[in-house]
Amino acid sequence: MSQLLEYLLTGAGIGAGFALVGSGLVVIYRVTRVVNFAQGAFAVIAAMLTSTLLASGLPHGAAELVAVAAAAAVGLVVGVIAIGKPGTSPRAALIVTLGLGVFAYAVEVLIWGDQPRSFPGLAGSTHVAGARVPTHYLLVIGVTLPVFALLAAFFARTDLGKALSACASNRYAARVVGIDVTRMGLLSFGLGGALGGLAGVLVTPVQQVTFDSDVTLIVNGFAAAVLGGLTRPAVTLAGGLLLGVAQTVIAGYGGGAYQLELALGLMLAVMVVQAARTPTSQQEAMPG
Amino acid sequence: MRRHLPVAAAVALVLALPPLLSSSHLAVFTLLGLAATVTVGLSLLMGYAGQVSLGQASFYAIGAYTAGLLSVHGAPTLAGLAAAPVVAALSATVVGVSLLRLRGHHLAFATLATQLILLSLLARGEWAGGAIGLQGIPRLSIGGYELAGDLGYAYLAWAALGLAVLVTANVMASRPGRGLRALATSEVAAAASGVPVGRYRLAVFALSAAFAGLAGGVYAFYLGYLAPGSFPILLSIEYVVMAVVGGMGTVWGAVAGATAIMLLVQLLTTIGTQPGMPSYAPSVLSYAVYAVVLVLVVLFLPRGIVPAARDARIRLRR
Repeated sequence: MSQLLEYLLTGAGIGAGFALVGSGLVVIYRVTRVVNFAQGAFAVIAAMLTSTLLASGLPHGAAELVAVAAAAAVGLVVGVIAIGKPGTSPRAALIVTLGLGVFAYAVEVLIWGDQPRSFPGLAGSTHVAGARVPTHYLLVIGVTLPVFALLAAFFARTDLGKALSACASNRYAARVVGIDVTRMGLLSFGLGGALGGLAGVLVTPVQQVTFDSDVTLIVNGFAAAVLGGLTRPAVTLAGGLLLGVAQTVIAGYGGGAYQLELALGLMLAVMVVQAARTPTSQQEAMPG
Repeated sequence: MRRHLPVAAAVALVLALPPLLSSSHLAVFTLLGLAATVTVGLSLLMGYAGQVSLGQASFYAIGAYTAGLLSVHGAPTLAGLAAAPVVAALSATVVGVSLLRLRGHHLAFATLATQLILLSLLARGEWAGGAIGLQGIPRLSIGGYELAGDLGYAYLAWAALGLAVLVTANVMASRPGRGLRALATSEVAAAASGVPVGRYRLAVFALSAAFAGLAGGVYAFYLGYLAPGSFPILLSIEYVVMAVVGGMGTVWGAVAGATAIMLLVQLLTTIGTQPGMPSYAPSVLSYAVYAVVLVLVVLFLPRGIVPAARDARIRLRR
């Protein structure tokens, strides 16, 4: 029983990381209808920057904050390139973000080399109802839950959040009432960058990061977000947790080698079922 | 006759060039032929079925492993080469039946996921040589004559490209080809005009996979060694870059795009491996080239270089 609880909590920790990557995708997609392939790169850049800052003597906390701020800035730059030019369709923007993700490889290898990087997180493990869970996983959960709560409150309660949501539901109407859609799009890229960076600094202590880790990060993040059609943060959180727990439980009770296949298979199944329910004409009307 | 003159000139050039190249340039020439073969298929898929595949390298891998495994286990090498496109097309059909319900970014992620699954299975499969790879693939022999020299593989790779171009040109000129062009504009409109949308999309997917499989088969015999690491996600992205740069949905665009990117990366690799350059320079330079070229073309030449050049020529004539 306590072993199951251990798997559940560890899995929730891993899944919270997926959900954070997914939340960045959701924020950007909600506002701009662009699926940001550079989302994984935000996490990798923040993680590598943190390892450098920590090595140069910056204390924990400060290093992570600087890295998240840097990731937000990188997100803003990606946004300017991807949607800054008027008339860029969401599909073109998707390919642009894919290109920028590859460009990040060049920058990362140039600055940090191609070897895996990591840094220590919270050490030791905590006893929860008889289960021993590495404390860092609890930290990941403990940060992710409030972030999602803040995100929900931000979209539902603040004027800025409402303006962002307006861009998401109807770009034309938003423009008519005087919302600068492009500026909102850029803001969403900045926010997406910060969320991606947060995912990176939280996950790295339990999972080494290399320059090409972004592929696994983004696929898992997308798998989490796709459950909610890439627009609903709460479902993304649930999706991420489900995915993390499923992977850990499968790995725990044998079958450890096949956790990636199972997670990806689950994502494919969800997408195919969703697509079968949506008529073609509606899919064509949706950009991207 | 005038229309066929450029094609005849291109064929003559391809036949005359290989013996003149140094061995390292000959390798680039061979790999270019293979990359262009894959890109012709991907360009067909992206241009006509309107879908981005981020997993095209998986069909290249399936073709390569099919040819490699068959010949390692004693099958005639020519049979292995013939099986490569067939198995790749069959796998595309099986995968495509469910995945092609997806559109746009969903399909992009689905193809990416399929390749990750394939790579993971190959790396773990004892039968495929695992992460170490499949070794000891014999050289291709055709009618008792063993194709041993690199020159032969250069011609073989370009023959594969020629076949892919020929098939694509004929398919596009046919009645189903017109249906495909309608499909590229609007699926709903095409379906309303009686185009069997689902079957056509699947057929294009399978055909593009067959080209990739054929190229993979040639690659297996050329290198004599296969590993999961030879087919990374970045390879799939490379094909997308080539197709986008050349211009999607045009055969010559695919060839031109592959050539432009391959030569550019080769040039930068030569610069990157100069004495005094750090060891990571070649990979950094090639990542940067893929990225910068892809972004600039999508933003400023959205239809690719070949259609843009065609437009410019028409404008100049006026």
